[in-house]
Amino acid sequence: MVLETLEKINQAVKERPRELVKAREKGAKVAGWFNYNIPEEIIYALGLIPIRLGTGGDDRLVEIGARYISTKNCVYTRELVGLFARNQDPYIINSDIVAVDATCLQTYRVAEVIKHYFKVNTLILGVPKHFSEPEGQEYFRKELQSFTRKLEVFAGTELNSNKLSESIKLYNDIRKSLKQLYKYQAIEHQPIKWREVFDIVHAGFYLDREKYLSLLQELLTELKEKHGEPVIGNLNGDARILISGSIIPPGDTKLINIIEQVGGRIVGDDLWSGLNPSLDVNIREASIKGIAGAYINRVPHAALPFLDLETDRRLKNLKQLIRDHRAQGVLYHTLRYCDAFSFKAGETKNVLKVEGVPLLEIHTEYAGSDVEAIRTRAEAFVELIRNKNILENEA
Amino acid sequence: MTTKSDNIPKFAGVDVGSLTTKSVIISNGSIAGYGLIPTGIDTEENGRLALRKALESANLKREDLKYIVATGYGRISAPYANKTVTEITCHARGAYYLHPTTRTIIDMGGQDCKAIRLDKDGNVVDFAMNDKCAAGTGRFLEVMANVFKVKLNDLGSLALRAKEIVPMSSTCTVFAESETVSLLARGEKPENILKGIHHAIANRVSGMFSRVGVESDVFFSGGVAKNIGMRSALEEVLKAKIVAPEYDPQLVGALGAAVLARNYSGKV
Repeated sequence: MVLETLEKINQAVKERPRELVKAREKGAKVAGWFNYNIPEEIIYALGLIPIRLGTGGDDRLVEIGARYISTKNCVYTRELVGLFARNQDPYIINSDIVAVDATCLQTYRVAEVIKHYFKVNTLILGVPKHFSEPEGQEYFRKELQSFTRKLEVFAGTELNSNKLSESIKLYNDIRKSLKQLYKYQAIEHQPIKWREVFDIVHAGFYLDREKYLSLLQELLTELKEKHGEPVIGNLNGDARILISGSIIPPGDTKLINIIEQVGGRIVGDDLWSGLNPSLDVNIREASIKGIAGAYINRVPHAALPFLDLETDRRLKNLKQLIRDHRAQGVLYHTLRYCDAFSFKAGETKNVLKVEGVPLLEIHTEYAGSDVEAIRTRAEAFVELIRNKNILENEA
Repeated sequence: MTTKSDNIPKFAGVDVGSLTTKSVIISNGSIAGYGLIPTGIDTEENGRLALRKALESANLKREDLKYIVATGYGRISAPYANKTVTEITCHARGAYYLHPTTRTIIDMGGQDCKAIRLDKDGNVVDFAMNDKCAAGTGRFLEVMANVFKVKLNDLGSLALRAKEIVPMSSTCTVFAESETVSLLARGEKPENILKGIHHAIANRVSGMFSRVGVESDVFFSGGVAKNIGMRSALEEVLKAKIVAPEYDPQLVGALGAAVLARNYSGKV
């Protein structure tokens, strides 16, 4: 059954670049950003238009980016640099400032590179590596205060507590809606595919956030009217896979296509370009302090070191998502030279093994030369899960 | 020899690999015939030809086959097959068929290398594959055989004659070739260099086993498994005894496909 709201969202994304041009002509300013810990709540409350930048999957852009940074940097960062070098992406072109946080240091370095080579107006937000220590939390609070002051100067206005409260509510509602959407894609006879939900998450990188929330709520209403509440129900023999690991940005469809082609069904993710940013954001007060506390205390990105496996919330989060989405295997995607996630592949596999959940690591980049090798791995993983399902049903 | 007149169902597996295409036919719980040809550029035709060879060797016709499973990288172009299955599952099934106490498989084929772990019932529980690199593959050894001007089949036995080992610092096919040329120019004995090459590959392959683990019995399949020097180096590096081959290790994937064909046939 066709979901009418999906088409509306797709149409809105197509129209968005033109909207941005018009908004800028009327004096609006666009704050593009990339990396993982930029609080859009503050950008939005200052009357700026937040746009999450970055694409993947384009080897030509990677090549262009490699003229400015090392080929030993991850392909995502090389493509990011390539995007700025080519300067044709409508969101890059329309960004008046580019905010970058220092969570992943490779991605953060892109800010230096684009400032140096392409004179991009960049704004940096420091992120502590010892994020769970009081000193680390204090550091982030001060960094966010400093970041906000600079953003206020750029916006030509001061942060207003009422507007900040409204912005926080808007983003809380967006996060809540996305979490609900993820429930629908996981049910037995899926009314919406994970891939469609993933694309909707990416639509939220670009669309006006109020319009985006309105479309999300409309879609949820449509889903509820047509399919009722999202209850997973009995599993129908699908090989249910959860994707974890390195970022899969808009445009990078290689692995997703392969999984679908070999008959796997993706039922969830803990990607930072997927569900993760919507999880565990508890803003206790409408202030910079409240936002800083919420962002630094959510499930940490893999680039932030957390050495105690017993208390690592990333693993706890992953295990919870596996349970929530009834995933039967984890496909752990690592981009070549994405150290943050590559380092964690082994321990994640070992932890999940204890839970009886198989994990397959796919180490790749954007070139197409490894497609067939990945297809064999992914297909064998689907065969493994299906066989496991058959044996469990027989037992 | 099994023939078509016995009314016993026959099943075929076809393994279209990067260097060779194999087909095995089974009937009544035993191997009835096989075919093995070099892989040419027409993937589909390779599979059909290997299957024809297997049918000829079993004195059978195509219509005698009840079910066909295709595997290998060429499985995506196998309209003659009833079903396609990955070579990982097929090698597991083939090795388990030949040696039911197999728990670990090293499969070294023409263009890739795999570490596969099985449970006691022969089900795949974990696996790892080499990563965009020819090290530890038949293609690598082909290049080396060319450098030493010896037949591929003689490479392993030559390595076993070594009195010493010349360490090889690279397993990159291109760099290993130039390093070998330099070592030969320096006057190192070919057999000692070859032993170093085999050990370098075995060390690299052992990295995959650190991810999936090694449990006895260890089974060695794929075309490279015919290389006794490789077998010896792997046993040394993995510190595990590899079971003696009871059947052509190059045919294990096709055999596993045939066994799976038999299993699937009962479900259609």
